[in-house]
Amino acid sequence: MSSPPSASASSSPPPCPKKMITLRSSDGATFEIEETAALQSKTLENMIHENCASTLIPVPNITGEVLARVVEFCSKHAEAGVDDESLGAWDEEFVAVDHTTLFDYIRAANFLEIPTLLDLGCQTVADMIKGKTPDEIKKTFKITTACTPEEEEEVRGENQWAFE
Amino acid sequence: MGSSFSGFSSDSDADGDGALAKPRLGDIPESCVAAVLMHLDPTQICSLARLNRAFRGASSADFIWEAKLPENYGTIVEKVLDEPKVLNLGKKEIYARLCRPNSFDGGTKEVWLDKRTGGVCLSISFKALMITGIDDRRYWNHISTEESRFHSVAYLQQIWWFEVDGELEFPFPTGTYSVFFRVQLGKSTKRLGRRVCNPEHVHGWDIKPVHFQLTTSDGQRVASHCHVDNPGNWIHYHMGDFVVGKSDTSTKINFSMTQIDCTHTKGGLCVDCVLICPSSVGKLINSLS
Repeated sequence: MSSPPSASASSSPPPCPKKMITLRSSDGATFEIEETAALQSKTLENMIHENCASTLIPVPNITGEVLARVVEFCSKHAEAGVDDESLGAWDEEFVAVDHTTLFDYIRAANFLEIPTLLDLGCQTVADMIKGKTPDEIKKTFKITTACTPEEEEEVRGENQWAFE
Repeated sequence: MGSSFSGFSSDSDADGDGALAKPRLGDIPESCVAAVLMHLDPTQICSLARLNRAFRGASSADFIWEAKLPENYGTIVEKVLDEPKVLNLGKKEIYARLCRPNSFDGGTKEVWLDKRTGGVCLSISFKALMITGIDDRRYWNHISTEESRFHSVAYLQQIWWFEVDGELEFPFPTGTYSVFFRVQLGKSTKRLGRRVCNPEHVHGWDIKPVHFQLTTSDGQRVASHCHVDNPGNWIHYHMGDFVVGKSDTSTKINFSMTQIDCTHTKGGLCVDCVLICPSSVGKLINSLS
């Protein structure tokens, strides 16, 4: 029978070993994440409950590059004792990335159903969009598809109320 | 939320590896576009609807507009609109419908949502107010005018006892609201296409201030006074604010504007309506009129 580690003079019980989950990206890279952090994703939560025996979860839609960052996000947001201000600052840095990466985060958060990350990503894109005209947005985000003239006319009619 | 693609990227300069094109804003699923749009205000959402089909679809997502509607919009629709079927429409249509001025109580009141914030705004015509002596043509007259949303205003020639009272019971959503009296010193008319203001009866307002009083059935009370001034212009006089804590019951308010010092007469005043709107909207009101 092993004796508990006597790290400090206080009588607090030893920390429980944290359950780790391994995620495997679409390109075969693996990442470890604490179960508590993984539970921020509704998708992962369901998978964890379904595969109770195994701790390896394949995440086929997301590349290693993006999954690494998602794991970082979830771990940070599962950390205890982080005040709102520092978390906010950390989040701001997290999304200070190029558009492509930002959309990767949004797609990953959508697939994995991580409301905090989805909200953060979408708010960031919304802030970029605010105040820009539709044409400016097309240019900035390189949107190449468009409605037909007939569709545009319909859309104009449907939305006229907002400009009256 | 699905992860199906709307399949839009047509750029062949995607990437050298050719495997997966880097996602662009035009590529992300419609549900994600909707999640982005949710953070924008209604006017901007509607202006982006024409960007492409994903934006068009996303801009009509119910969850966006449900969040923008007042929490008790069902109650408001029932009270104000005669068409219960409106509640079967998509949430965007309901929002649009409520943004139009909706007349009720025999055309003496109008209610609408402030487009940008979804806040409930309400205007009460003088016809729904209790004005001392309103039926006595020596004191008060009705004037038809396009300068009122109700197309007519009450014009005071001269009186000793000036009192305008009103009350309202309405299911306001939670929030803080400002109450204004919209009045003008002087009678305006159009002469040869130009707006002209006739100050012939204006007198007495500089002697003593008018008093405003606002009370709610849950015990809130505001009293204030100020001088009516600025002839020739419609002014919204801010008489006070009230707070609605819960939107599951109707809020009942009483308000009045008085000048009953009978040592002097006063006159030359047009009374249009009482306006109630969210305080944040109210702050901008006089810069618009």
